[in-house]
Amino acid sequence: MKEIIAIIRRDKVSETKKALEEIGYPSMSIQSVEGRGRQKGNMCAEMDSEMPESFCAGVKLKPTPSTYAVEHTLPKVALYVPKKLLTIVVPDEAVQKIVKEIIRVNQTGRHGDGKIFVAPVEAAVRIRTSETNEEALS
Amino acid sequence: MKMVRAFIRPEKEQEVVLALEGAGLPSVTKMPVFGRGKQKGLQVGPIHYDELPKTLLMIVVDDQDVNKVVSIIQQKARTGFIGDGKIFISPVEAAYTVRTGEEGL
Repeated sequence: MKEIIAIIRRDKVSETKKALEEIGYPSMSIQSVEGRGRQKGNMCAEMDSEMPESFCAGVKLKPTPSTYAVEHTLPKVALYVPKKLLTIVVPDEAVQKIVKEIIRVNQTGRHGDGKIFVAPVEAAVRIRTSETNEEALS
Repeated sequence: MKMVRAFIRPEKEQEVVLALEGAGLPSVTKMPVFGRGKQKGLQVGPIHYDELPKTLLMIVVDDQDVNKVVSIIQQKARTGFIGDGKIFISPVEAAYTVRTGEEGL
């Protein structure tokens, strides 16, 4: 079994859910998280990498610095972009199909499309019936 | 690749992340969590807090960077008092960038 952890744009969640439902893997956990990547939380770079940073002054959608940094006036603030984190546990053979589908649905070609991680899972148990491993997933 | 999950004090998150950025590892995902540890929460006079707020940082790095990340988090998130948090490291087999569809960090 493998755990697929996908960090994607917030507005792509319903599309992703629908696409995964169609290929037969409807179960997942969804979390709201904040994150930053190689652009260091710069939302302008995420929307359009060609846009110079000075253009961002008028942009309404701004990343949120943490209140701690503002209160303590740190010389620099780490910025974050809100994202959704999907966690999907699937049998080994389904991993490639799901990864491909997530990439197909979420790809816009601009920075901030997100990352997908694949990690091993040792055991799974369905609490209702005490089924274990692959039976618990289906 | 390894995934480093660090449960730290919420007020230390900015310091840790800026230090990681300085070390050339700007990418991190954070989420607010509630939890308890060995002390089963916190007792302040008659009031017992069963679960305390923490920040969970999730960082995926190459194997050779793991020690660097852990030592930075240890340095920056440490206060010496109970409740500084924990760091967990787990294996990651593959990473994909959605924008390009390529494999790798």
